[in-house]
Amino acid sequence: MSRAVSFREAATLVAKREFGQRIRERSFFISLLITLGIIAVVVLLPRFSDFGSDSYDVALVGDSSSLEEAVSRQASIADDEVSVRLVPDVAEAEQAVRDGDIDAYVDGDTVVVDQSLDESLRAVLENAYSQVEGARALESAGIDPAEVTAALTSATLQTVTLDPDADEREARGAIAFFGTIVLFGQLITYSMWVAMGVVEEKSSRVVEVILATIPARALLAGKIIGIGLLGLVQLALIGGLGLVLASALGAVELSGPMIMPVVTALAWFVLGFAAYASLSAAAAARISRQEDLQNVTTPVNTLMMVSYFGAFYVFINQDSPVAGVLSIVPPFSALIMPLRMARGDAAGWEVGLAVGLMLALIAVLVVLGARVYEGAVLRMGAKVSLKDAWAARRRVSS
Amino acid sequence: MLELDRLSRRYGDVVALDDLSFTVRPGQMYGFVGTNGAGKTTAMRIVLGVLEPDSGEVRWNGTPLDQAIRREFGYMPEERGLYPKMQVHEHLVYLARLHGVSGITAAKAASELLEALALSERASDRIESLSLGNQQRVQLAAALVHDPTVMVLDEPFSGLDPMGVDSMAAVLRARVDAGAAVVFSSHQLELVERLCDAVGIIRAGRLVADGTVDELRGTAAHRYRLEVGAPPGWTASLAAAVPGLSLVEDGDHTALVELPPSADDQTLLDAARALGPVRQFTPVRPTLAELFRSVVAEPAASPDGSEKAEAA
Repeated sequence: MSRAVSFREAATLVAKREFGQRIRERSFFISLLITLGIIAVVVLLPRFSDFGSDSYDVALVGDSSSLEEAVSRQASIADDEVSVRLVPDVAEAEQAVRDGDIDAYVDGDTVVVDQSLDESLRAVLENAYSQVEGARALESAGIDPAEVTAALTSATLQTVTLDPDADEREARGAIAFFGTIVLFGQLITYSMWVAMGVVEEKSSRVVEVILATIPARALLAGKIIGIGLLGLVQLALIGGLGLVLASALGAVELSGPMIMPVVTALAWFVLGFAAYASLSAAAAARISRQEDLQNVTTPVNTLMMVSYFGAFYVFINQDSPVAGVLSIVPPFSALIMPLRMARGDAAGWEVGLAVGLMLALIAVLVVLGARVYEGAVLRMGAKVSLKDAWAARRRVSS
Repeated sequence: MLELDRLSRRYGDVVALDDLSFTVRPGQMYGFVGTNGAGKTTAMRIVLGVLEPDSGEVRWNGTPLDQAIRREFGYMPEERGLYPKMQVHEHLVYLARLHGVSGITAAKAASELLEALALSERASDRIESLSLGNQQRVQLAAALVHDPTVMVLDEPFSGLDPMGVDSMAAVLRARVDAGAAVVFSSHQLELVERLCDAVGIIRAGRLVADGTVDELRGTAAHRYRLEVGAPPGWTASLAAAVPGLSLVEDGDHTALVELPPSADDQTLLDAARALGPVRQFTPVRPTLAELFRSVVAEPAASPDGSEKAEAA
C-alpha cells in the first residue's frame, strides 16, 4: 500500500503532472506551429527580396552590340542579373524608363534613370562602358581588337580572405539573434505558465488538498521543473526544426558550428527560466485570482523586457563595453550572453563568470521565492504583502 | 486515536479556537457541529497541517502529527479543490500517488471508489465538465483514494441530493466499519444524528458538548409529555409540587414539562397522579437539533454538565 514519499518523489510526481497535462493542451502545439511559421518567414524573406534587388533591365540606344556584350560579361562577373535589349529610338527608351519597364538606358556616354542608379548596376555599366571605350581607343591606336578584348577580360582580381569564418560567424550571430527572440518568447511564456499554474491552484483551492499531503516546496519545485522541461522540449523542437527548415530552404548549412548556438540557447533557457520562474511563482502565490496576475507579474516581465531590448542593443553594438557588461550581469545574461557566444565575441572567462553569477542569482531567488511562496500560497483572499509572506509560515486566515 | 489537545488559534483579535480538545477513536464516526464561524474549519485545517495552532497539539496514537503521519490522513476541505482540467480517474490516481500509493494500486482504488459513488461512466471526463454534486463526490473520492486511516471531512454532505448523501454515507460507513476514524462537520443535524457514533458541539471556539447522542441527551434536561384528567390550572399545581420543573407547553389537559437532569421522573409521575388520572406519561427524547439549540443558546460561561468530555 502506501509508503513514505520523499521530497524528490513528490516533486517528480508534480513535475510529471505538469508536463503531461500541458503537453496535451492544444495551445502547446499551436504556439510551436506559430513559432515555426515565423522561422519559415524569416528564413524566406531575404530570398524573396534578393530577386528584386539584383536583377535589372537595361536598354541600349543605337547600335551598341559590343557594349551589350560587355554588359553581359560584367553582369556575370558581378553576379547580377542584367537583361539588355537594344532600342533604336531615345524617346522610346525614355518612355520605358518613365513607365518603370526598364531600370536605365544608355545613350552614348550617358546613363538615364528615373530616380537613382543602383550602385551595383552603376558598377556593371561603368565597367562595361570603360571596357568598350578603352578597346575602341586601343583599336584606333592600331592594336588588334581581339587581343585587346582578351587582355581586358582575363584581367580579374583574385580574392584572398583573411577572415574566412566571417560569413559563418555572421550566420551564427543571426541564428543566435533569432534564437534570442525565441528564447525571450519561451521565457516569458513559460514563466507566465508557472504563475498561472500557481494561481490556478490557489483559486481552485486544490492547493490545500495537495499541501495536506506534500510540502509546499515540493509542489513548487515540481511545478517549475515540469513546466521548464516542457519549455525546454519545445525550444529544442523549435531549434531543431528551425535549423532543418532553414537548411532545407538553403539559408544555412547544417553543421556543428550552426547547431552550437541552438544548444547554447537551450542551456541559457534553463538558467533564465530557473530565475524568472522562481520570481513568477513567488509573485503569483501572493494573489488568489487570475485577474490580479498582471499586477504582480509586471516587475518580472519588465525585467525580461529590459533584457530583451538589451539584446537588441548588443546585436547592433557588439563591441561596446555595455554589451560586455550586460552579457555577464544576471539575469540579463540569459538573453544576451547566448548572442555574444554565438558570434564568438565572448571570452571563456566572460562565459564562466556569467554562468557563475547566474547560478548564484538562481540560488538566491530559489531560496527567497520558495519562502515567499510557502508563506503566501495558503492565504486566500486579498493580495498578501511581501512582508507578511516573508514573516508568515503557514499562518493562514480561514 | 486522534486527539486534539487544547488547540487555540486567533486571527488578530478574533478567537477562532479556544482550548479545543476532543478525541476520535478508530472505528468511530464523529460529527462535528457548530454554528457558522464557530471554529470547525480552523480545527480541521490544523489537524491537516494546513494551518498551525497558536498553542496545543494534535496527536495520533500519542504521537504529535507530522507529514509522515498525515500521509495516512484523508482531507476534504470546505472549499472544494481539484484541478478543473484533469480527468476524474487520473486526478484520483495522482492524489493517491502523492500519498505514496503505487500506480497500480491507485488505479484500482480510484476505479472502485468511482464505482461506489456511481461515477464510473465519468471516469475519463474532465472535472470541470461534471455537475457540482458530482464534483463533490469526486472530492470525497479524492479524500479516500489512498485508503486513509483518518478522514477529516469539512461539510462533505452539503449540497448533495438524498441519493448522493446515501451513497456517500455508505462509503464512509464501510470505511469506519473497517477501522478508520472519521470526523466530519455538518449543519444537517438529522444526518449527523443518524450517522455518527459521537458528536462534538463547538461554540465560539470551545467544545461545549461531546459524546454519543444518548450521552448528550443524558446531560440535557429531560422532557415529558403529560395528559392528566384534571381541571385547567393543574399544571400550576404540578409545577408547585415538583421542584425545578418548568413548563414548555401548557394546554388544557396536556403539557410538555422539563425536569433538570438530576430530578427523578417518578416524583413527577406521583405528583401528577395526585392531581388526577394520568392518561399519558411519555418521556420525550430531544433530537440532536434540539440539543444543539439548547447548548448553543446557553450563555458562554455556563458551568452546566454539558462540558462532559469523555467519548465513552
